[in-house]
Amino acid sequence: MHWIAVQAAPEPQALALADADTALGWWALQFTPLVARVEHSLVLEVSGSERLFGGRAALLQRLFASLPPAITLQQAQGETSLLALGRLWAQTPEAPIHSLPLHTLAAARAHLPTLQRLGCAHWGQLRALPRGGLARRFGAALVDALDSAYGQRPELYPWLTLPELFDAPLELSAAVETAPALLFGARRLLAQLLVWLRARQRGVLALELLWELDARRSNALHVDAHHSGGAQGRLELRTAEATQDMQHLQRLLGEQLARVSLPAPVLYLRLRSLQTQALAGESHSLLPEDQRKGDSLHQTLERLGARLGSEQVLCVQPQARHVPEQMQAWLPWTALAAKKAGSALSDQAALLPTWLLAVPQQLPLKEGVPQYHGALALLAGPQRLETGWLEGEATLRDYFVARSAKAGLVWIYRERLASGGQKNASAELRLRWYVHGLFA
Amino acid sequence: MIALARSAPLVLHDIHADVWHAHTLSRSVLPVLATGDALLDAQLPGGGWPVGALTEILQPPGVHSEWRLLLPALAHSGLGPVLLVGAPHLPFAPALAAQGLKAQRLVWVKAQAMDARLWACEQALRCAEVSAVLAWLPQARSEQLRRLQMAAAEHSKLLFVMRPASAQDEASPAALRLHLQPHAAAPPLADSLQVRLLKRRGPPLAKPISLQARASPLTLLLASSQAHALDCRTSRA
Repeated sequence: MHWIAVQAAPEPQALALADADTALGWWALQFTPLVARVEHSLVLEVSGSERLFGGRAALLQRLFASLPPAITLQQAQGETSLLALGRLWAQTPEAPIHSLPLHTLAAARAHLPTLQRLGCAHWGQLRALPRGGLARRFGAALVDALDSAYGQRPELYPWLTLPELFDAPLELSAAVETAPALLFGARRLLAQLLVWLRARQRGVLALELLWELDARRSNALHVDAHHSGGAQGRLELRTAEATQDMQHLQRLLGEQLARVSLPAPVLYLRLRSLQTQALAGESHSLLPEDQRKGDSLHQTLERLGARLGSEQVLCVQPQARHVPEQMQAWLPWTALAAKKAGSALSDQAALLPTWLLAVPQQLPLKEGVPQYHGALALLAGPQRLETGWLEGEATLRDYFVARSAKAGLVWIYRERLASGGQKNASAELRLRWYVHGLFA
Repeated sequence: MIALARSAPLVLHDIHADVWHAHTLSRSVLPVLATGDALLDAQLPGGGWPVGALTEILQPPGVHSEWRLLLPALAHSGLGPVLLVGAPHLPFAPALAAQGLKAQRLVWVKAQAMDARLWACEQALRCAEVSAVLAWLPQARSEQLRRLQMAAAEHSKLLFVMRPASAQDEASPAALRLHLQPHAAAPPLADSLQVRLLKRRGPPLAKPISLQARASPLTLLLASSQAHALDCRTSRA
């Protein structure tokens, strides 16, 4: 058995994480499954996993190299957990077991004054006292602890486990009045989330940030996209690809929070993971020039969507329809929608214009000739389109390619009257012409 | 020392790649992408669109010939997405796909405000996967364009900025500036697209370059419909 006891050095600015103690426990679980919390310290039993890491020295080196941010560790080792803890608390990592001061044995702490009057100051002196008397005078717990410390009793702890879902609260040090300022607290929660994600080797797809409004000043009637009238607010964040990149999540959160208005000051924050996914390892190219610098596409487009609104960042879905405006649908970009975009082309596609007008623009007529940046000369057509009768909205159009002196080629259509039949000069004059596309 | 300098004739681009004789085209240090038009390639430094520099395209109002000019190059610009920032009309994906720009590569950023468009452009240029950015920036100022030019250079991306012809007299940080004007010819002659090179790294070009006005399937259609009309007229006569 070999135990390592670790403790985060008290730092004045240990504010990078929401809950440094918990985070340290999650982090320690990557070295051994036997991790337990004793007061503010952690004990790790590493004899089982030393071989995996290539020896005790390599494991220790790894332990210090992979620390979570803004944490420095104090550590001590020993053959039993109590010995390691004793050395850690006494801050004498190499001290022999007999010379450890008694206050470093948790079970003896309650009896310290009595033991001091007995002249007992070190573990060795306590160990030398007769067992029966010790048990009668101070209770069996002390004797058992002493046995454990000397390796004569097995040590059992409630071992730490990694939670299935991430759910961390944070009490803010001061009431926060504006939503963007919540980002400072959220940043600490995200750092905590990163420790959890790394430990579980997962990437996050969706998470939610909850905040609790100050009950005294809360307006229970306030309802908007983030508040449903109660004392709680909620913001959901989604990303297209499972990620451990907290910078990206932070930017998204910043953009989203910029649009939230708080009805009352916020005192508590809470971050929860909604959806996570196992993260596959990344494979890097051996050639340095293959590694392009920059953000990935989904990060960029999500950032654009967060700032501009997701309905502003669009990808296209071709559709098998005859009416030109229904041949394509521009939908908000998602990784899934963008992949589906490929489809078979019709032979006619090469003859379609590259620009389509969102709303066909009616053309003025001059002596029966439609005008668009000058008189239009019809070059090719008509291409007759007669469809939609099944849906109830009949589309009857004759498409022409026409040339404008100034604007190049345009795609225009003449709307045919559904009734048809009557052919007289006045009806011919009343024909309506529309420009629908530009050949660029 | 003097003898040495005399013996070797001075070659300008040995001093620096960005120094060139005023009467020749610069030997571009930038990678280029062929435009698909041999006439145009011959007049551009390096023989194509500069990758990693701003190319400015100026057009008179009502003219939107950018697809004709850019599609052949975009079709061969890799597999990455092409971002359209602030397109003036709906890009018609089936037609673009038929000319080689696949529909799944298109991403349309619909922002209206000028600063939102500029911001979106800059973000897009920073993305590793994007292969080209097309932006319609009618009111952009010179210093804003300079920022985009720097971003394009840093991440070596294709960047085309479409602006109105009225911006012709403004200073611009673009490496290449072109002015487009469709030219309608009398029936026996084919229509053309007149491209004036306003700025390039090389001597000024007095005469506009005349490119075929449209993609070949459409040209064929128009030719056949004209022939058909002629046939009809002759048969009636």
